[in-house]
Amino acid sequence: MHSSTLRRFHESRLFIASIVLLALATLFWPAREMRSDNFVFYFPSSRRLLPFETIQNTKYLPLLQILNAVGKVGGLQEKKNSLKVWFGSAQIELRPDESKVRVDGTFLNLPQPVRVSNGQWVVPVDFLTTVLPRLTRQTVEYQEGTNRIFVGDVKPSSFTVRLDPLANGARLTVQFTEKVAVRTASSNGKWVMFLGDHPIEPMEAGYHFQNPYVSDLQFDDQDGVPKLVLSPTSSGLNFYPMLAEGGKILLADVLKPPPAVAQTPQPGQLPATPATTPSAAGPTLPPSEELPAAPPGPPLPVVVLDAGHGGAEDGGRSRDGLLEKDLVAQYVARVRLALLATNQYRIVLTRTGDATASFEQRALAANLAGALYFLSFHAGDVGAASPRITVFSFQPAAPPAPVTKKTPLPNFIPWAQAQEAHLDASRQLALALRKQFALINGVNVDTPATAPVRTLRSVNASAVAIELGRLAPDADSTPLTNPAFQQQVATAVVQALATLEKGGT
Amino acid sequence: MSLRAKIFLLILLVVLGAATFYLRSLAKRVFIEPTRHAEETARAKLSEFALQSKKGSSQTATLYFPSLEQGKLVPEGYSITWAEANVDRVRQVVLALAEGSHQGLRRVLPASTSVRAVFLAPDGTAYVDLSNDVLSEFPPGIETESLAIYSLVNSITMNIPSVKKVQFLIQGQEVETLDGHADLTAPFAPDPTGIKSGS
Repeated sequence: MHSSTLRRFHESRLFIASIVLLALATLFWPAREMRSDNFVFYFPSSRRLLPFETIQNTKYLPLLQILNAVGKVGGLQEKKNSLKVWFGSAQIELRPDESKVRVDGTFLNLPQPVRVSNGQWVVPVDFLTTVLPRLTRQTVEYQEGTNRIFVGDVKPSSFTVRLDPLANGARLTVQFTEKVAVRTASSNGKWVMFLGDHPIEPMEAGYHFQNPYVSDLQFDDQDGVPKLVLSPTSSGLNFYPMLAEGGKILLADVLKPPPAVAQTPQPGQLPATPATTPSAAGPTLPPSEELPAAPPGPPLPVVVLDAGHGGAEDGGRSRDGLLEKDLVAQYVARVRLALLATNQYRIVLTRTGDATASFEQRALAANLAGALYFLSFHAGDVGAASPRITVFSFQPAAPPAPVTKKTPLPNFIPWAQAQEAHLDASRQLALALRKQFALINGVNVDTPATAPVRTLRSVNASAVAIELGRLAPDADSTPLTNPAFQQQVATAVVQALATLEKGGT
Repeated sequence: MSLRAKIFLLILLVVLGAATFYLRSLAKRVFIEPTRHAEETARAKLSEFALQSKKGSSQTATLYFPSLEQGKLVPEGYSITWAEANVDRVRQVVLALAEGSHQGLRRVLPASTSVRAVFLAPDGTAYVDLSNDVLSEFPPGIETESLAIYSLVNSITMNIPSVKKVQFLIQGQEVETLDGHADLTAPFAPDPTGIKSGS
């Protein structure tokens, strides 16, 4: 072989080796995860969309756009490694890759560093709660994890969601805190319900259902227009939306189409022409007009059923791998059906499916619904005996201050102390439940106890936590998953509430 | 520049890049981790000091251990040579509870739990900062968490009269619950009603 050919062979081998090395380096280079989306700033009479980037799982917003949205930037001085911004009477100083922001000489710490992305100074979303309130005299309300912020005197409404099975479909009930004007449209095989102009802060961004007709409901305001997007499980279903209680309740029935010959309209309440689910490739229907309001039904007492944990919060776990969040959801489902069968209560669930719900969201669901009773279901290690039930009412960390004649009555109940006004009623509820649980054969029922249960703290209603046991890593969950036992618990709850309604315990 | 030189330069750049990353991790190991280690050692020494106070005579403190079967706290005598400072006494009580009952009662805290810091406020509130080991092997539940909290609160306040309330922190942070159930956002006052009567 020629020496020049040999050299070329070695060079090409070296070249290939270099390419492979570079490819490996690129492969293992720490990925800087980036994604763009919108963040909505709601003001009393306007709203503004700001694009945000997600950098290493943190949302980043452009600093100057934030400041210009809430006020006016007076001037700025940008150097290679710092940025000074004059905003109103305040002076802000930032440095790239540093978590400290200097505002009028005071250092404020952000959990993540300031960055310069594509030549633009961006700040982590915590800037909105850490620094922004110092810069503006307007109130700033931001709920962590969401993509919206309310600046100034903005009172967003909210809503709760429930899905009930029907004989040939499912009924979605969305209860709003304020009246809404709904118009519907369909798009890509989904139904979109536009909720008017009023800002809305949802308690959950999405709800997933284990239902043969409806798979999920998502709230979306990425374009500044609040809307709900309902996804059916299959095409060809009919959608019958209607408003009730003057626009505070949206009822949407998702029904299997009736046989072609025997097509009869639904009794009284539904629009004459239902919107049919288009296939994904099919044409979208034009938005329908504002929906007619239906006559309000008689008000029923509200029972809020709270299945503990959910989502990433598993709670306890049994030896056979059963999670507390799944077990208590089974009990809640049974109790719900048993209570609905009485036609005496309206039921509100604090979570549907395996959704994550914070303690505040659970209390909010109960307080917005005007709950009469709040029952929170849990399972845990309760000692050797199983099945065992203990009913807990709330115990404040320190005894509530005694009310004297001189103590002025508060105009507002502090959110964190809402349950303290119901301690006696909650104990009555615990006693009534305990009495009925004790009638179940083979169950160990403890005397009602008190405990600082976090879920109950802000509930403005008679509230208890029912702990079932024994769910522990060294215990078998069979006694708790027995359907007959679960049904007996549900029946006992119905009996206890009925007794209380009649004035007994 | 010849092709060979270009390739050499390219490889050199890659090697330099890798070396920079290695140096960064090396610097982290050399300069940052020993600081953490030193902090842990200091805390361990504080705990040891609190437990091994030899001044004064040994006294019997009453500690409260949970009994899930009874849903109550059961008192147990425990010999402690009290330290002089109240913050050290708080540490002694917590560590004694972590050591476990001598009568076979349920353990309140895992043995690996360490007390990161104790502060005593002028209003009698003791701030007890526990390591996050407290959550390891902890069985979540309303009853287990509630009994664990009052085991600590009653044991501290009833043995150290100047402590009126106890606020718990975990790993230096205020937390919402102990393990998903019991509210830890406010300082706890002692609750004698949860103690087994007739003990």
